[in-house]
Amino acid sequence: MKQRHGWATVVGAILIIAWAMAPVVWILSLSFKAGDDINNNRFWPTRLSLENYETVFNTPLFTSGLRNSIGIALISTVLSVAIATVAAYAIARLDFPGKRTVLSIALAIAMFPAVSLVGPLFNIWRTVGLYDTWLGLIIPYMSFTLPLSLWTLSAFFREIPWEMEEAAQMDGATAWQAFRKVIVPLAAPGVFTAAILAFFFAWNDFVFAISLTSTDAARPVPAALAFFTGASQFQRPAGAISAASIVVTIPVIVLVLLFQKRIVAGLTNGAVKG
Amino acid sequence: MASISVKNVVKQYPDGFQAVNDVSLDIGDGELMILVGPSGCGKSTLLRMIAGLEDITSGELLIGGEPANDKAPRDRNLAMVFQNYALYPHLSVYENIAFPLRLNGKFSDDEIRSKVEEAADTLELRDHLERKPSQLSGGQRQRVAMGRAIVRQAEAFLFDEPLSNLDAKLRGQMRTEISRLQRRLGITTVYVTHDQTEAMTLGDRVAVLRKGVLQQVASPRELYQRPVNLFVAGFIGSPPMNFVPAEIEGRKVSLPFVSFEVAQEVADRFGDRQLLIAGIRPEHFEDAALVDATSQSIPFSAHVDVTEWLGNELFAYIPFETSSEIHERLKTLARELDSESLRTQLVVALDAGSRIEPGKEAKLVFDASKMHFFDPVSGENLTRELAAVAS
Repeated sequence: MKQRHGWATVVGAILIIAWAMAPVVWILSLSFKAGDDINNNRFWPTRLSLENYETVFNTPLFTSGLRNSIGIALISTVLSVAIATVAAYAIARLDFPGKRTVLSIALAIAMFPAVSLVGPLFNIWRTVGLYDTWLGLIIPYMSFTLPLSLWTLSAFFREIPWEMEEAAQMDGATAWQAFRKVIVPLAAPGVFTAAILAFFFAWNDFVFAISLTSTDAARPVPAALAFFTGASQFQRPAGAISAASIVVTIPVIVLVLLFQKRIVAGLTNGAVKG
Repeated sequence: MASISVKNVVKQYPDGFQAVNDVSLDIGDGELMILVGPSGCGKSTLLRMIAGLEDITSGELLIGGEPANDKAPRDRNLAMVFQNYALYPHLSVYENIAFPLRLNGKFSDDEIRSKVEEAADTLELRDHLERKPSQLSGGQRQRVAMGRAIVRQAEAFLFDEPLSNLDAKLRGQMRTEISRLQRRLGITTVYVTHDQTEAMTLGDRVAVLRKGVLQQVASPRELYQRPVNLFVAGFIGSPPMNFVPAEIEGRKVSLPFVSFEVAQEVADRFGDRQLLIAGIRPEHFEDAALVDATSQSIPFSAHVDVTEWLGNELFAYIPFETSSEIHERLKTLARELDSESLRTQLVVALDAGSRIEPGKEAKLVFDASKMHFFDPVSGENLTRELAAVAS
């Protein structure tokens, strides 16, 4: 009985993984198909070729897009998480009028459909001079990443027992020392979770990327991919786009693997009895 | 090392609830003062006001003679051991203990090392210095919390029910450890507990609190033998004091199971009252067959309901009848004392050699000189001054 159950689970798992990974593997195989090979009607390339990758890295469109993406996403993430950490601490620990309002407003802002913001934002940015700049993208990105980080972090801070700070106070720490030496290390899992979520959003965004940029001064990768052309105007750029997609996914995978180790469950085991 | 003075301190919450109501307490330098009482009596609140973790609504707090009402916790130079230990889980035991020393940057690494190791030796934590709190047992974590407190050479220690999370055997061991430590270091200590055994064994003096009001502050012996009211009498002592209704007529006292005469000086205390609550501790009863009668021992016979033989003593439970008024009064008292006894019954502690059997009549005696009489309305102990303090 038990063995049959295990066998079914394994088959089920394989099916699910295949279903999820099929498009990714397809794109991977596309990226290795040179030139007209993409028309070969077969899953795997006739022969492996790195031609697409060479094309991609020789395209200033792509490399500048990569540079923009990394810069904008990192800055948005770092700023959001830094501000949200301090704000979430205040929300979790202090009792001030309007506390619930702040959290509700944060949630409401995050749920607002991005598409409806694009039109007005386009006009404002052009007037103000933020069109096609890094800052012009960082600000809209933070309108989502900041509330998201705030929610994640205030949940984490609420989990940390108040006695930690009281003990630190009794030991002679100022509020800032207590925060820095005791709370921040304990909230590290929350900080990394919030950072990952914020980075994903900023990295993958397409709507703002395509509407608020016009040159490769600030155009991030998702938008840049839309302007890809092949080696000649008669070739579909599918191969190049696939290669670019694979290149773009790699940093995200690396980050997740790195941060996954940091999100250690049960960090507060042993601090408080029970 | 400093004395702590609490003068008319009140803690009132915005909704009007008074957690601490006009408490005044003087704790001498080097003294171990216990704050004891049932849940919700305000003892933890009082401790936290001394620590600075709660604001004092009105009244004065002096630490070492200096007013300390408005000082932040870190400026009061007090060390606290929390009920839940509150160890820093991301730091090793060494770093936990060293935490207070690293904060103001006054000590060099070598000085810190020697201080931490000294504290670790006192508490036998030397082998565990590199481990994290999650790898330690409850008793070890408790000792780390104490290590963090003693390493600072603070003016006073504050303990907030430190033993309540340990199992019974460990609690007994740690109790003697704390007692030894406090005596060795000679530091003023305020210790909060709801366990009256800890209160009796650890304290130089014990302050009994009830609903924010201080009932009595005295040595454990004084509390046990000369309680000031019904609450203190019922709270201190395990098993608790027996309370029976006593009808008074001149010098004659009628209890549900026996009547006898008291000395004139005792009767004088009764005033005009006709109904009192008499209190007598379980150990002041004895099997009539095992003792010689003295002038003060009153014999009676009663129906024994249940017995419990524990090896060193025999508990016998004797139900009795009482008026509903007294019954209500005793029930309210039982609830306040967190005790479960809802039946009106006597608990007597007899010598283990007694042959008394359950379900039968038994001949017992009790020592009338050890009986207390309480006013049924105010709970005041009317015969307190007459109680002899055994040397």
